[in-house]
Amino acid sequence: MSYLPKTPATRHRSRSEAKTPLTPSLAAGLNSLSLVTPSKGDVSLANPFVASRPSSPIKRTTSGTIQVSESLHRQASIGVIRKGGVESRLDVVTRDYIPPKSEKRSKSQPSRDTRDRFITTRDSADEVAATLDLMSLNPQSASPGHTARLAAATGVPLNRRVLSYHEPPPPSASDPLLAQAREYARPLYARPGALPTSTSTATAGSKGRKIATQPERVLDAPGMVDDFYLNLVTWSCLNVVGVALAENTYLWRADTGEVVQMGEAPDGSYISSVDFSNDGQFLGVGIGTGAVELWDAETQTKLRTMSGHSSQVACLSWYQHILTSGCADGSIWHHDVRVARHKVGEMIGHQGEVCGLKWRSDGELLASGGNDNVVNVWDGRVGDVAPGTRSAARWTKRNHTAAVKAVAWCPWQPSLLASGGGTSDATVHIWNTTTGARLHSLPTPSQVTSIQWSPHRKEFLTTHGYPTNALMVHAYPSMERVAEIRDAHDSRVLWSAIGPAGDVVVTGAGDENLKFWRIWDVPKVRKGKESKDSGRTGSTKSDILRIR
Amino acid sequence: MPTKQAPTRQAITLKGSTNLVTEFFKYAANTILFQRGVYPADDFHMVKKYGQTVLVTQDLALENYLDKILKQVNKWLLTGSVTQLVLAIISKDSRTSLERWVFDVNLVEQPSGQSEPAPAKPEAEIQAEIRNILKQIVSTVTFLPVIDEPTVFNILAYTSESADVPADEWVDTDPLAIEAGKSQQVKLRSFSTDVHRIEAMVAYRYDG
Repeated sequence: MSYLPKTPATRHRSRSEAKTPLTPSLAAGLNSLSLVTPSKGDVSLANPFVASRPSSPIKRTTSGTIQVSESLHRQASIGVIRKGGVESRLDVVTRDYIPPKSEKRSKSQPSRDTRDRFITTRDSADEVAATLDLMSLNPQSASPGHTARLAAATGVPLNRRVLSYHEPPPPSASDPLLAQAREYARPLYARPGALPTSTSTATAGSKGRKIATQPERVLDAPGMVDDFYLNLVTWSCLNVVGVALAENTYLWRADTGEVVQMGEAPDGSYISSVDFSNDGQFLGVGIGTGAVELWDAETQTKLRTMSGHSSQVACLSWYQHILTSGCADGSIWHHDVRVARHKVGEMIGHQGEVCGLKWRSDGELLASGGNDNVVNVWDGRVGDVAPGTRSAARWTKRNHTAAVKAVAWCPWQPSLLASGGGTSDATVHIWNTTTGARLHSLPTPSQVTSIQWSPHRKEFLTTHGYPTNALMVHAYPSMERVAEIRDAHDSRVLWSAIGPAGDVVVTGAGDENLKFWRIWDVPKVRKGKESKDSGRTGSTKSDILRIR
Repeated sequence: MPTKQAPTRQAITLKGSTNLVTEFFKYAANTILFQRGVYPADDFHMVKKYGQTVLVTQDLALENYLDKILKQVNKWLLTGSVTQLVLAIISKDSRTSLERWVFDVNLVEQPSGQSEPAPAKPEAEIQAEIRNILKQIVSTVTFLPVIDEPTVFNILAYTSESADVPADEWVDTDPLAIEAGKSQQVKLRSFSTDVHRIEAMVAYRYDG
């Protein structure tokens, strides 16, 4: 009502709608009567509506309360029945007599009081004290039960003060050496199950983002081989997840949830790797015998078999029509899937089994990691140059101390390559492949089995084996831990693939489960911009400001 | 209330009892801070007290802080204006109170109209009671929830309205209460001197 200061009567009239207002003369008479009558304390109890009012402390301080209740009582004794009409009428009259209008009006319009009636505002200690003062000093103003409830609700006992020393207690001393020692000892006190969630939520919370510690979806993957060196999960740009379960390949269409069996490996063998081509139309399948098969994902038919490797093909990577395979004997072959003589390149650089292989998205470079603890970066150009010139790696990195299975190219900074080592290494190194420099190193609690960069955020995800079996999200370049999902699987998390939208990551493990985790959000930048632009067409001001 | 007591007896024992109670608070607070890991364990050293070893902080800042508080508590005890002391353990990040260690201070009613005061309680008996409380505080670790986040503490004094409050040193504050539905309470032992009776209680946050 504050916006209608001059016509307060309208509201009162609406409140007492369909009632004949009292004549002004009667009202004036009533008012004069009320002024004459001496106040009686218990009069207001006759009207429960009025009686409840003085319990609010601020209203008690105003002088007119008794007057109103008194005059009301007078009217009641006179025989006026309609409480609302009389009361409102009365207020109108009293206002004429007493100048501080706002004070008076707050009485008839409790909504104007910004404070909650039941929860005392703690603007200042003085005010709380004042409120309590009023409550305790005037027990007759409100029922004792109400006061007790109010005291219980506020948690402030009556006739008591809760005091604390003005200074906060000193912070615990931080000796860096001791703090470090404590940090090491902390896991000893950790209870299984309780700590991971609390740490992950706490750290994620501090970043202002919460990452779900539970998978969004779990798929059963019976027969999935628990072998660190294989690569059995892939996710295409057509939103199809390809997974190899022992000798069978299955496709799971994420859009429909439909499962299709693609095919089987030849008798007595098994599938050691799968990878979708960049357009999602073809699936490359590596076989334990050394053959590389090409399947049409649409029709689920085998197109061709490219043999030649002497042993298991544990990793595959596509770049356009080139399917590159890493073999257990340490050789890396390029297969041109279009031509009959498919082998178009061979790169010998690893002494041990090749277990990680990734093309950079532009096809310039190929990264490989091997069981010989080496990371190699190869020139990816396949051309008519003399054989042998391409066989040497551009960079060879020997910093890892265990098999390098996890290799991943950064989607938003092409020169960045992340590689992670196995159990005895458990370190993630970030390389600048242009200069060959090692930019960052991140020790982790357990073996790094795969790395996925977020396409939308400066973060990457690592999956880990025993003992944490965790998914970890790290920020780049600070290498801070953004989140950790411990015990994501019942056994070591071996494989991961990121969805085409860049928000969900699928992980596979020896516990025969595929789990889908929503780690990142798809930024709605474009949508937001559009709506903003359309919203701004009306307001020229902000446009002008923006142009400037 | 203190005024009801026989003045001659009060003059002698109130002060002594107050000092005893204040000292108890010091060791109780230290024990709680150590046991609940509010301050790192290596900040504490062992002191022989009440016939047992008690861990007391070596951190000068904390020592001074507790001293300042206890000095004022001592004054309030003398005037009988403090009714409750609370040591609240609060999460450092979320500022929610996790535990409240409550010490009710009651004044022992002297039987009125009795010229002969009751025989004084032997010191050894009081010490045994205090020792039992401190031991009980230590043993509460077995059932209190494990706190695996950084915490801070605060000491609250519930005083009567008429209490003398040093102007800018003590301020009215929130009681740092734990929501009733999430609070579990365990009553601990109590001890009494001839003048005071201290009842201890711990309330902790426990979400089913």
